[in-house]
Amino acid sequence: MFKTMKTTLLLSIFLLGAKSAFAMHHQHNSEQNHDEKLIINEPWVRAAPANAPMLGVFMQIQNHSNNDAKLISADAAGYQRVELHRTMEHHGVMKMIKQDFMPIAANNQLNLKPGSWHIMLIGPDAVPAEGDVVNIKLTFNNGTSQIINAVVRKGKMTMKHHGSHHH
Amino acid sequence: MSKLTLSIVIIFIAILGISVYSVNTDSNYGDLKKQLKASHILHKPDKKLHNFSLVDHNNEVFNNARLQDQWTLLTFIYTHCPDVCPTALMDMASIKSKLIDNGLESMPGFVAITFDPKRDTPKVLKTYVRYFDKDFIGVSGEQSQIDKLIKPFGTYYERSIEVDGNTVTIPNGAELPKGVKNYSINHTAWLYLLSPDGQIFAGFPTPHKPKAIAQDISLMMSQY
Repeated sequence: MFKTMKTTLLLSIFLLGAKSAFAMHHQHNSEQNHDEKLIINEPWVRAAPANAPMLGVFMQIQNHSNNDAKLISADAAGYQRVELHRTMEHHGVMKMIKQDFMPIAANNQLNLKPGSWHIMLIGPDAVPAEGDVVNIKLTFNNGTSQIINAVVRKGKMTMKHHGSHHH
Repeated sequence: MSKLTLSIVIIFIAILGISVYSVNTDSNYGDLKKQLKASHILHKPDKKLHNFSLVDHNNEVFNNARLQDQWTLLTFIYTHCPDVCPTALMDMASIKSKLIDNGLESMPGFVAITFDPKRDTPKVLKTYVRYFDKDFIGVSGEQSQIDKLIKPFGTYYERSIEVDGNTVTIPNGAELPKGVKNYSINHTAWLYLLSPDGQIFAGFPTPHKPKAIAQDISLMMSQY
């Protein structure tokens, strides 16, 4: 009986230790690279006509940290410029307003979607076809950056719709 | 029956007929309005589109005659528009497929007129607009013609440029500062339904709801 308890206790201590060691390892990694707390979900480029001078990029950016974050720039090879934009409606007039950054509040998320926040790929060397993947580098104000693979697809489907259509 | 009585009866019937007729045609489409889900009736019998002459994506004349004898779903776009205009054109494509699903017999024409004819030539529009649906018609032409055409629609646009990091708005009709090539356009993004007399009949504000709009279009076409 005592032996069993002792084994259980030892095992628990071991597991606890392993867990905290893992957590420390995890922490260590995330300190070196904050990307782990800034998670990009389902990035996509809206499929466009072969002569489209501009392309919109959409995604969801989650901020799992306790600090507010800012997306400060986006870059992609094969485009003259990449800019951060937001479509806003003012008395029925749709305005596209260039942004210096996109705010992602602590423990919150920002949805980039048609009619709202979006990344704009300007002056493509060649307009990517449906199904192509565009590599886009996102840089945040904490000095970290990450490269996302945005798939080119039609539609202005929300993530939810996309999920339900996912095969 | 005396001639006088007969005349009175005839006049009475005539008045009754006229009033019944006007209730039925309901020049304000009050009954129809109540049934619509995503539309504003813009029909104004006393306000007609003035004569205009533009060019479609095949370099054919696009004028008032092209809006006659069929219904037309029309919007205004520019191709340097990454968000709002592709959405509007996709919505139009979606409305078209819903109208087909609903079994509509005579399909309206689908037209996208550019705010920005300098950059959106007929050739540019042919590739761009037909991407969304092969039957869509892109329309370009003289800026002054377009500026005149949009007024009765209540459509508005202004160009927006960046000067030393600040956004400056160039009003409709004014020249861009020398050397400025990049500009975006702030604009309204309604879709419009034109009746077979070539006049504005209804408008659909943003955000467009393709399913409800398609239902409304079928209803308007049947009760016109």
